[in-house]
This record gives sequence, structure tokens and C-alpha cells, in this order.
Amino acid sequence: MAIAERLSRTTELGYWKGEIPVYYVYTMGRAGERFFRAIKEEGKFLGTRCNRCDKVFVPPRIYCEECMERIEDSYLEVSKRGVVHTFTVCYEDMDENRLEEPKIVAMVMLEDADGGLVHFLGEVEPQDVYIGMPVEAVLKEKELREGNILDIVYFKPMT
Amino acid sequence: MLDETRIKASVTALSETDMRDGKVLTIKWKPKLYYAWDNGIAIGRYLQELKNGRIIAKKCNGCRRIMLPPRMFCELCWRPTDEWVYVQDTGTINTFVVSHVDWKASRIPPGQRYYTPAVIEIDGASKGMGILHMIDEIEPYEIKIGMKVKAVWKPPEERIGAITDIKYFKPL
Repeated sequence: MAIAERLSRTTELGYWKGEIPVYYVYTMGRAGERFFRAIKEEGKFLGTRCNRCDKVFVPPRIYCEECMERIEDSYLEVSKRGVVHTFTVCYEDMDENRLEEPKIVAMVMLEDADGGLVHFLGEVEPQDVYIGMPVEAVLKEKELREGNILDIVYFKPMT
Repeated sequence: MLDETRIKASVTALSETDMRDGKVLTIKWKPKLYYAWDNGIAIGRYLQELKNGRIIAKKCNGCRRIMLPPRMFCELCWRPTDEWVYVQDTGTINTFVVSHVDWKASRIPPGQRYYTPAVIEIDGASKGMGILHMIDEIEPYEIKIGMKVKAVWKPPEERIGAITDIKYFKPL
């Protein structure tokens, strides 16, 4: 039967290559804008506080996600220190290329807050990282900051 | 209690210029969305024959249809198809459109020809079998359904084994 037909000429093998041209522009939103502007201009971390639930959200939210109260008037500075809540060691980049040096990605829960940031750990070897390790944020020089999460270079172990 | 008036008053929509002029912080990203689509046996041969300047179809001995573009399986008889058959490079316009916008839905600038894609039933293939291609060498609004057309090919050295090896179809 013809379905078993085989290609005898390899020139007939082929594929069609293409690219889907898409791009996006992400805006931070009201709370995100405040958060990243504070990092960029003042080197501060901001959170918002819900007095009813006794919670401090970092990154800040404009509504309390538990009671839906509007909390946009409650910005406060929070600490740039925290502890490693969980972490992973990455040996490949986003395109699955081998990295020369592995990167450590951690969820850092910030002091005096009920939230935290996912970021890199630096100035530490993968085998020395542990859950509960105290760390602090290292920011870029002020003139190099652009108002995004990479204004934080990494979190390093607290000395 | 939510203060409705305060919320309404504090909402401002972002405009494109706010983003472009850097009034608000933005993250720009262009994902790399590359793909490679496997031609398969039937379309592989079809494209190869286009490079040779010929159009090839495939016949089903069950329903006796000559199918274009060729396929390895008959969806009506539920069986593999049979012989390869060369068909003509002439045909009949089954349907067409005069498009004032390009594929990005942007208006075509004044002076530039409107796009006139058509479904062309190819001579030698079964009724209703056809390919989508461009019509040219005629004013867009003079195109008619049922009009006889013929393929205008690229010169052999420019053909790469693609449907664009046919530049367009022109009225006979």
C-alpha cells in the first residue's frame, strides 16, 4: 500500500522554518511601580500593610488578598534582609544551554514581612546554602539601576 | 467598606506614550518563537516538484479523486492514496478577495496594489481541489469568479521548493 511509500531521495526530505514575531511590554501596575521606583531611587524595599489581617505584603499589593481591603495608603519600608525559604541550583539557562557557573535561585522571605522575593544568591557556594540561611540584598550602584528586579544583584549571606 | 468615589478618582489608564516615553517602568521582552514544520512525504514531493516547475497531485483509486495539494491518506475512503499525477499550471478562480489591509491588518498605503488572494481550482485535479495563491496582471476589481488563470513561475534558478516558486496567477 502506498502509505508504506518510502522516500528514496533525501532531497525530498524537508521542513519549513519560520518565526512568530511577537513581543510584549509589561507594566508593573500601581504597586509594582511604587516598589521598583523605591528600589531605583531610594534603594528601599516597600511593602503594604493590612491592619485588619495583620499582614505586610512584599512585593506590595493595593488590595489585601485575604480580606479585599484597600491598603494603598499603607506603604512602609521593610528590611532588605531575610532568610532562604527554599532554593534550587540551576546548571542550565532558559534555553537549556550549560552554564559555566551554576546559579542559585532562592525564595527569600523578608524580615518583618509576610512575603518575599525570588532572586539569585551570590557570594556563596551551592553546597553552603541551607534553608533558613540569613541573607541580605545587594543592590546595583544607584546610577545603574533601571527600576526592575535586576536592580537587586543578588542576596548574599549575612555576615 | 470600599470608598467607591475614591477608587474611581484614582484610576488612570496608561497610554501608549506613557510607556514609550518611560513615564512608567516597563519590561520589554521578545520571546524567540521559532518553529520548523515537517513537510511530510506528500507536501515534501509537492514542494520539490514546484522547484522543477510542475504541480503534482495524488490520486485515490477508491473515490477516484485527484487531490491537490497531494496527501498520503484519503479522508473520505479512509485508505492510503495511490498514484502521483502531474496536473496543469492553469486553473479557474473558485473564490477571491480584494484586501485593503496586509497580514498585520495595517491599511495598504495609497498607490500600492491591493492584495488579491484567490482559491484556484487547478486543471487536472478534481473539482473543488485547489490552492490559495495571488492573482496579478489584472485590476483587482476586474477579477471574477470562474476566470481562467495561469501560473507565472519564477525563473528556475530562483526556485527554492516553496509555494512562492509560483509568483502569482495571471488571467489567460
